[in-house]
Amino acid sequence: MKNSFTERMTNFLLKYGVITALVILVVFFSLSTRAFFSLDNFFDILRAVSILTIVAIGVTFSVVVNGMDVSVGAVTGLAVIFSTAMMVIWQIPWYLAVMGSLLIGVGIGLLNSFLILRLRIPDLLATLGTLYLVQGLQMWITKGDAVYRGMTNPWSPLREVTKGFIPKEFLTIGQGFVLRTESFRGIPVPVIIMLCVVFSTWFLLEFTRFGRAFYAVGGNIEAARLAGIPVRKYRTAAYVISASLATLGGLVLASRIGSGAVKAGDPYLLDAVASTYFGFAVLGVRRPNVWGTFLGAVFVGIMLNGLTMLNTPWYIQDFIKGLVLVSALGISFAIRKESR
Amino acid sequence: MAVLRGENIGKEFPGVVALSNVDIQIESGKVHALVGANGAGKSTLVKILTGYYDNYNGTITIDGKEVVLRTPSDALLNGIEVVHQEVDTQLVPTLTVAENLYLENFATNKNGVMVFTSHLKRDAEKDLKDIGFPLPVSEKVENLSLHEKQQLVIARALLHKVKFLILDEPTSSLSLLEAEKLFDLVRKLKMRDVGILYISQRLDEIQLVADEVTVLRNGKKAAHFDRIPSLSAIVEAMLDTPQGDLFPKREQRNFEEEILRVENLTYKNKVNNVSFGVRKGEILAITGLTGAGKTEILKMIFGALPTGHGKIFLDGKPVRIKSPVDAIENGIYLVPEERRKEGLILDKPARENISIPFLRNFCGFLGRVLKKNESYHAKTLAEKVRLVPFDVERQAQYFSGGNQQKIVVSRWLGGKPKILLLDEPTQGVDVGAKREIYQLIMQIAKESAVILATSEINEAAGIADRILVIRDGRIVLELNSENADTKVIMSYAAGVKP
Repeated sequence: MKNSFTERMTNFLLKYGVITALVILVVFFSLSTRAFFSLDNFFDILRAVSILTIVAIGVTFSVVVNGMDVSVGAVTGLAVIFSTAMMVIWQIPWYLAVMGSLLIGVGIGLLNSFLILRLRIPDLLATLGTLYLVQGLQMWITKGDAVYRGMTNPWSPLREVTKGFIPKEFLTIGQGFVLRTESFRGIPVPVIIMLCVVFSTWFLLEFTRFGRAFYAVGGNIEAARLAGIPVRKYRTAAYVISASLATLGGLVLASRIGSGAVKAGDPYLLDAVASTYFGFAVLGVRRPNVWGTFLGAVFVGIMLNGLTMLNTPWYIQDFIKGLVLVSALGISFAIRKESR
Repeated sequence: MAVLRGENIGKEFPGVVALSNVDIQIESGKVHALVGANGAGKSTLVKILTGYYDNYNGTITIDGKEVVLRTPSDALLNGIEVVHQEVDTQLVPTLTVAENLYLENFATNKNGVMVFTSHLKRDAEKDLKDIGFPLPVSEKVENLSLHEKQQLVIARALLHKVKFLILDEPTSSLSLLEAEKLFDLVRKLKMRDVGILYISQRLDEIQLVADEVTVLRNGKKAAHFDRIPSLSAIVEAMLDTPQGDLFPKREQRNFEEEILRVENLTYKNKVNNVSFGVRKGEILAITGLTGAGKTEILKMIFGALPTGHGKIFLDGKPVRIKSPVDAIENGIYLVPEERRKEGLILDKPARENISIPFLRNFCGFLGRVLKKNESYHAKTLAEKVRLVPFDVERQAQYFSGGNQQKIVVSRWLGGKPKILLLDEPTQGVDVGAKREIYQLIMQIAKESAVILATSEINEAAGIADRILVIRDGRIVLELNSENADTKVIMSYAAGVKP
């Protein structure tokens, strides 16, 4: 019977390990800091992870089709600079700036799939190349400057001061609240956007034939092809979705900071990849999945939020992140569930 | 003079006896041919002799002294080496000829830690000249032809002072010209007193190179000839007497009009101007040796390989099939040869593997899968093929080979098969499941045309209405099943008859 006990423990760890850890973390932080356990802080954490979650779900799509997209951080950054530069330097209406950014995002996704499917460059290398291209483009738009109200126009020979600004409507995307009441600050708009992305991609991947096809392509591409799935279309779609969501994340980020900081998207790459792989461990499914990625991002968010409240120095936070990721992956991959 | 002698060699796997009581003797300076149909036990014997298995039955002696071959290095130490059919597995493609020649030295400290390209090159040139193999020493192995790669592996064996060399289907992917060169090489090796075990399914070349022949059949020694007998004697020994009840009774069926016709299918050097037609209600078998081009023909019809300038006609009208999607739309379905690699998504339940091609029919708003309908569909089809265990939620990888095959077949029954293409459907399937699959094929053929690619000649003769024999990508014989003589088919397939 000892055997069955360890077996049950293993199964439990596989399935609920991450969730248990999450609960323990919340309880621990709630007990040790007074500010942690409150509705406002709850939404603060969600808002803090919203951009990461959106970007990470994009990465999840590329991993579902057994690929990888490392250009997402740069694409996020491009969206930040491009959208703000449109509004500030060229005084283009905010909705056109948003649509333009999204179009460019789709374009980058198509470029990635062209490199990977047509030129047959391995996905990691292809998107690494795109990463540099996109990052270069991002710097080029403003000649390396950040975008802010009253900046000098880098493209005008007289370096005159720009007249554009970032309108309130655009700022709402990242800073607004809805359902405000007297006692309640409201739900942050980025959280709503994130939840929309989470629910729609979850529906797509888990409940539709398209999702089945995405997973089939990632599970056995030859079998999927011979079963009549247009595998190229699905792989293209995955990279387009990945770049589009990275762009969406970038728009939220631009609105949140209210200006265009250079290379603002960079940190999201590694965190997004980490969240995706962290998601493997959630519920022991050992495949990329939307809720896993979401919980992975939340986990990272809670940890950082709590650690900050505990006054943990910033310079050891990356180390703790790494430790948690390695343990989560260790648990989910080292303990192999044998055939039933 | 050295003699390698194996006595009562046998090998069992759970539930299967792959080889039993086989005697074989390899003498230096002689070429011993080993022939047999697919699954006769040739590769098991090769694996035993090269130390692939850690246990086997029987004794192996060299010059009367017993040797134990439990690891590849046991075989190497006793001077036994092999040139695999897939010679690429024995070489590192990104390294040069010289580096591959001395690959072993990099593993040991024998020649020191430092490696100088110039020294390697010099040594390789000298060594290759000594044994008379002119190979470009600085060339990367990936740029070599198949024949040159074989030469390189043989040269490496000679540098190790190989006593017994096993050539495993060495000509299966060579052009005629290259094959000629290989035969020369074999003669050279004989002069160097190397004992050769030459494995092949092509009987015509055995006449050219071999001194003696052993025939395996179903894991047993079927015959041994001291000198090369008439090829028909070899063919007779290779052929199995079929089990009478394995194949379902043939019913008299009337074939309707031709529904599929292919013309001039050509794919690289694997398929050459193949044309044929198939009628509704007919089972057409395409048979031939492994690598003759059967799989390629089916994949071309299914749109999984480009058809080149070949043409495909459905119901007399030309159709363009550029991808499996097009084929499926036209009612052409394929059950691929390697079900684990090409047929199934192993970590998904049987249900998803069955419903995958026609999932569209079970979807609601926004493509949402209606799981109840899907599940009902999968269960109905699983019942039709008698899936065991009858559990569509079980992951595909946990089913037996035969039942995995049934999953792949059943997925296509969900559509309206016009033409069902089956590639080696009974490979690695036990007898019971084989019988069931044959019955299933008969049933499907009532409504549609079936094209069956098989290297088992008995299977072709037992179930098909018409048989095409192909060799090296060409149709060499066409015959109706009434006058299907397995001996004749085998002779044509193995290249005895023109």
